[in-house]
Amino acid sequence: MTPKRLLKAMLLPVVMLFAFQVAVAQNKTVSGKVTDGKDGSPVAGASVAAKGTTTGTSTAADGSFQLSVPANAKVLVVSSVGFGTVEVNITDNMNVVLASSGSNLNEVVVVGYGSARKKDQTGAVAQVKAKDFNKGVLTAADQLIQGKVAGVQVINNSGAPGGGTTVRIRGNSSIRSSNQPLYVVDGVPLDGSNARPGLGNTLGGMPAANPLNFINPNDIASMEILKDASAAAIYGSRGANGVILITTKKGQAGAPKIDFNAGVGVASIMKRFEVMNGDEYRAALTKYGATSGNYGDNVDALGAILQNAITQNYNASVSGGNDAGKYRLSVGLTDQQGIIKESGLKRATASLSGSYKFLDSKKLGLDFNLFTAQSTENIAPISNNAGFQGSLIGHALQWNPTHPLRNADGTPIVIPQFGNTSINPLSMIEAYDDNVATTEVLASVSPYYKFNDNFEYRLLYSVRKGVGVRKNEIKRFLNYQGNLGSASVGTAEQSTQQLTHTLSYNNQITSDINLNAVAGYEYMKYDNLSYGMSGSDFADFPGLSYYNYLQNAPNARRGIGSGAGPITELQSYFARAVINWQDRLVLTGTVRADGSSKFGANNKYGVFPSFALAWNLSNEKFLANSKVVNNLKIRAGWGRTGNQEFPAAASLNRYQINGPNDVTRSNFGNPDLTWEQSDMINVGADFGLFEDRVWGTIDWFQKTSTKVLFEQIVAQPGPPGSAKYWINLPGNIFNTGVEFALNAAIVRGKDFSWNAGVNASFLKNELRDFGNQFFETGALSGQGVSGARVQRLVSGQPLNVFYLRQFEGIDANGQSIYTNDGNKLFYSGNPNPTTLLGITTDLNYKKFSAVINMNGAFGHMIYNETLTDVVPIGNLGTRNIAKSLVADGKTQEAISNAIAPSTRYLESGNYLKLANATLSYNVGNIGKTFRNVNISLTGQNLFVITKFSGFDPEVNVDKQVDGIPSFGIEYSPYPTARTILLGVSFGL
Amino acid sequence: MNIKQLLILFVGAIVLASCSKLEEKYRGGVEAVAEGGVNVADVLQGAYNALNNPFQDQSRFWAASQHTTDETIGPTRGPDWDDNGVWRVLHSHNWDADHLFLRDTYRELLQAQYAASNVLALNPSAQQAAEAKFIRALSMWCILDGWDQVPVRTDLDKVTVLPEVLKGKDAFDFIMKDLTEALPNLPVGSAIKANKDAARALMMKMYLNKGVYAGSRKTPTFDAGDMNQVITLADQILASGYQLDDNYFDAFGPANSSKSKEMIYALENTNGLRGGNNQSRWYCTLHYNQRPSGWNGFTTVAETYDRFEAGDKRLTADYPGVTDVSGLKVGLLQGQQFDQTGAALKDRKGNNLSYTKTVKLKETGNDLEITGIRVVKYAPDYQVEFPAENEYVIFRAADVWLMKAEALLRTGKAAEGLEIVNIIRTKRGATPFASLTLDNLLDERSRELYWEGWRRNDMIRFGKFLGAWTEKPASGDERLLFAIPSEQLAVNPNLSQNPGY
Repeated sequence: MTPKRLLKAMLLPVVMLFAFQVAVAQNKTVSGKVTDGKDGSPVAGASVAAKGTTTGTSTAADGSFQLSVPANAKVLVVSSVGFGTVEVNITDNMNVVLASSGSNLNEVVVVGYGSARKKDQTGAVAQVKAKDFNKGVLTAADQLIQGKVAGVQVINNSGAPGGGTTVRIRGNSSIRSSNQPLYVVDGVPLDGSNARPGLGNTLGGMPAANPLNFINPNDIASMEILKDASAAAIYGSRGANGVILITTKKGQAGAPKIDFNAGVGVASIMKRFEVMNGDEYRAALTKYGATSGNYGDNVDALGAILQNAITQNYNASVSGGNDAGKYRLSVGLTDQQGIIKESGLKRATASLSGSYKFLDSKKLGLDFNLFTAQSTENIAPISNNAGFQGSLIGHALQWNPTHPLRNADGTPIVIPQFGNTSINPLSMIEAYDDNVATTEVLASVSPYYKFNDNFEYRLLYSVRKGVGVRKNEIKRFLNYQGNLGSASVGTAEQSTQQLTHTLSYNNQITSDINLNAVAGYEYMKYDNLSYGMSGSDFADFPGLSYYNYLQNAPNARRGIGSGAGPITELQSYFARAVINWQDRLVLTGTVRADGSSKFGANNKYGVFPSFALAWNLSNEKFLANSKVVNNLKIRAGWGRTGNQEFPAAASLNRYQINGPNDVTRSNFGNPDLTWEQSDMINVGADFGLFEDRVWGTIDWFQKTSTKVLFEQIVAQPGPPGSAKYWINLPGNIFNTGVEFALNAAIVRGKDFSWNAGVNASFLKNELRDFGNQFFETGALSGQGVSGARVQRLVSGQPLNVFYLRQFEGIDANGQSIYTNDGNKLFYSGNPNPTTLLGITTDLNYKKFSAVINMNGAFGHMIYNETLTDVVPIGNLGTRNIAKSLVADGKTQEAISNAIAPSTRYLESGNYLKLANATLSYNVGNIGKTFRNVNISLTGQNLFVITKFSGFDPEVNVDKQVDGIPSFGIEYSPYPTARTILLGVSFGL
Repeated sequence: MNIKQLLILFVGAIVLASCSKLEEKYRGGVEAVAEGGVNVADVLQGAYNALNNPFQDQSRFWAASQHTTDETIGPTRGPDWDDNGVWRVLHSHNWDADHLFLRDTYRELLQAQYAASNVLALNPSAQQAAEAKFIRALSMWCILDGWDQVPVRTDLDKVTVLPEVLKGKDAFDFIMKDLTEALPNLPVGSAIKANKDAARALMMKMYLNKGVYAGSRKTPTFDAGDMNQVITLADQILASGYQLDDNYFDAFGPANSSKSKEMIYALENTNGLRGGNNQSRWYCTLHYNQRPSGWNGFTTVAETYDRFEAGDKRLTADYPGVTDVSGLKVGLLQGQQFDQTGAALKDRKGNNLSYTKTVKLKETGNDLEITGIRVVKYAPDYQVEFPAENEYVIFRAADVWLMKAEALLRTGKAAEGLEIVNIIRTKRGATPFASLTLDNLLDERSRELYWEGWRRNDMIRFGKFLGAWTEKPASGDERLLFAIPSEQLAVNPNLSQNPGY
């Protein structure tokens, strides 16, 4: 099906659907209230409909509803996101109790390629529903669950709007290839990339954006995190880093309804990196007897590039339907200014989903989804690896605070008196322009046929297309070394197609045995390409951007390039069976065979099995009548998953085309190249105590990754294009940990309720059997540290262990003292947190509710490169220095003390962050027009408790070396924002 | 529909869809198995380009050959240029097997060897094969000179087949065989391509240093037969008509390939086409407040400066198109620096930008930005400052003359050698020598060839490399070779660490 025809096929049912809304005569009115079975609190927005009719409504903020139903209607169907569905007989003044996720074991949850009853789950799977998502200014799905799930670490790499995240499920298991989990949106696996072209210019390489930005978080109903291999093995060679299933909101049966929410927020910097102000700087100059460096002023250069950033966020959706067809149409608009001037993200999303049933028998059905997003980013000139010429944040921190930023006429000074290589951050913002327009579409259509109640065939076809155009310029006047004015235009295109057949069987075979089975075939095709052009040495034309007249660049200063990787294909066969015996024992077995065009000729297919067993102790006699334990399930599972995140064509010998008449061998092929394999054992328990007032899970796991994918160093001589080739290393990576989540309904009252939850995970990570070789990563890049690397991958140490000179203090001459004179480096710290913590609590009093979410990470170190080389003592007399360097009672460090990477700059990364706090008030209905009016005030990143001296301990600046990822290094990143957001939502 | 039919349907659907054989299809690159899939000329150009970084970057073979000597030092200037100590350990002879830049130099030179071997595997024409063999010989000679152990890869497709390692005489013979075979088929003419004289110049380096490579690095002996080869080759080269330039700095300045009559072999730098990082030669030394604004890094030391007599045109000079534009002079920059108006420049601390003869490996004083005499051999081109279009010189005629003089001296023909050296000295504005000795010849090589990447090779051959000089004590015998990078030791068991590391 071509995309065009596909679109037609999807739009048609929507048009038809509005025709279904038929008037009904002979009515009666029922009214009542819907409450949460857990704590008795009202459930707002629950869908209420008379069974077998098209009439429906949703509940008000206080849980109440009033519905006109046909006189003969007998049963109401009540459901809500985050709860199950119940059917109740119509009575007067009904009180409908919905069971929430803590206890509703008959609830159906999404698992890979199908769904399963919650009670049949045997793996370590966590679910987070929309009502529990983090609130505030969040552009990507992974931010919604930060701190919510034990064993899942979500790091916002920087504070840039739409910036990338680092997501680790149960630690790092791969050393070269991606450690990000697999995301699956309504059955469509994403490949972890987006169409935003990368950029490298004189400033260095720019950070990547979040590939999930194209999904509006407001469209997401729930997320399931498949943490252990027994759950993730159904995703085979892509499941090793865990899988996150994203389920989007769907229309519910009932009259069409409109939901609207809007938010306006203001953001400012959360925490500053402390440098001196003008007076402190003068005092320091005096203290050091410096004769120059005071220019009389008192300016705040960082403050000058920051702004109170306004964010506006609007979402509207129309949804409804009946038994035969449901639809949801949603649009979202986000205009998020960055806290750095001129930076920001604008995004418009639109999505449409539908679910239709055909034929009298209703056996034939069609589900479809369409997501579209268009975003425009303005990106601040902050690179990951700026050299001695620095990037924007570095310049702001370094600016001599006694030197004015502006000329008398208000224009920014370009060349300051303290050195022509120092750059005015205001000039930089003016001279720099980097914008990306990205358009993404994801469409899926899924017809199915139910042969009978138990047997279903389903087809899923999806297409994803993304196009990104990036334009960049640096104006000629900026005093960068060698800057002649440069510009580039780059484009990336991405296409993914998927075809999945599944056959599922679900039946209570005997009174004792329930079988839920699925078998299927999947084919995926990825096609990525890019092209770009650049130039330098432009003439200035007032008001014009260089990138709009690249032809002005002289011939010798033009560059063009294009590239297209081989099309990657993945072909798989999979099956799963879940056998439930008397609701006491549940056995799950899965197997998947994955073949990939990327794999070497000798290893085209891999097989990934898993087994898991759960024993529901609470259904045994000895616990059946327990007053304490009302639910207890223990689980054990083993599974094998894979990771195939290496570039296409890595298994083959090949040439690359470099330029005119210039071709070189680029790669040594490895015909044995195959997936990385992770075996994981998981043992855990789910429990509910005291009538589900206390509930939670606890899990222990051990994960061993073998055949570790790595780019091995070539025994030279080798091809000039790459000094490495991909192999499956003999070494293995070992991760083990314990994680638990504990929730309690502390107070359950009619007017007042209080719930609290905590999740924690304790992780250990080690690289083993790696032989004598080691690999370096964590490349520092600022002044005086060219070529220095601070991390290693080496046997017997945690991944990315810091490898540094040992700092012992400052000697009498003000020079640093190092162990062995600094000639020996030591393994000196672990960047991987050993403890992750998430705390959440909500309080509800009548119409008020408050939710507080905190998260933290402990037991790890962060390398502060900003302190090492952006604001060192040597700057005193010319540029600014860190405030902490000249403190009373400290041995005075000499201005001449060399910049050198050492343990001096290794800081504890421990932190606890008040990530999210929301206070909301349910106004209820206003007149007959506005339903469920809710007003909320959300604070994001309100404070962080940490000893880390940089902007934010939640940081991960990409300091990779030749593709080997670094972890836990701070280098003048885009600062984190603190946001206050006022929101209103209502229905019509 | 019963279950059977259903299953048939399902399996049928899968079979229909399962047409993919999962083969990779190329679009942006070419698979290396297909002969004729690439043009040999293109691959040859790729091999030429593979020489750019290891020769032209300031942190590769040039650094290995200069920073380890009495011509060049990379001082740590307070907050600047610590770079984890990489520059200090080169100058003080404290490098180890993990040295970042030595490791990358070793790798990149061997990659150039691979690229050249790749040409030979593609059924090249006789001239293409000759050019490839020259490139291979040049890159292998650098490895022999620096590390003694030269890995050679014969199977270009199977990475698991480990390269064999040639040492000393074996490596010498391999390289000499390549050059000998190449010579008849190399062209004459363009200095930015492999040519007959370039091959001869490299053969001269080989024979002149044969006692080092095939004998003893510490106490090399010089076989008369080898020296006569040097003389013969020099005569063949000089018969082509090279001349000493009237302006010594024309060999390096903008448009040097058209201006200089000394150029035998150089790497091409043409913007929009190809080139290396030649601008690093001036960036690495000039102060931030000069034009072009530099990185305020490397300098020379007193020993080198003091070798010159006043009036030697090689010491320092105005250069047209440079000094008149920015005040910048070429050669060794000592003392106060000026702009084009004659105004004295200052450093970033407000001191006069007046370069001092004294320099320390670790500068900690208030004068840390101005210590050390700067060296500008390649005059910047203000039209195309970045990237530079000056060709990067590897072999030039003055070196050939000096090598010939050395071979004459080492075979008891000092008078003939003296005559050659004095022709050069006279042309350069220096007083002629009364006699020629090994010591004054080595000094003359420094005066003529300073910062051109020959000093380490010369000092070893003259037995001076382990001595003491500014900021460098006498060093141990192991320093005559670099350590085999531990990165390569870990993956190629045919290599063994050089003694003493």
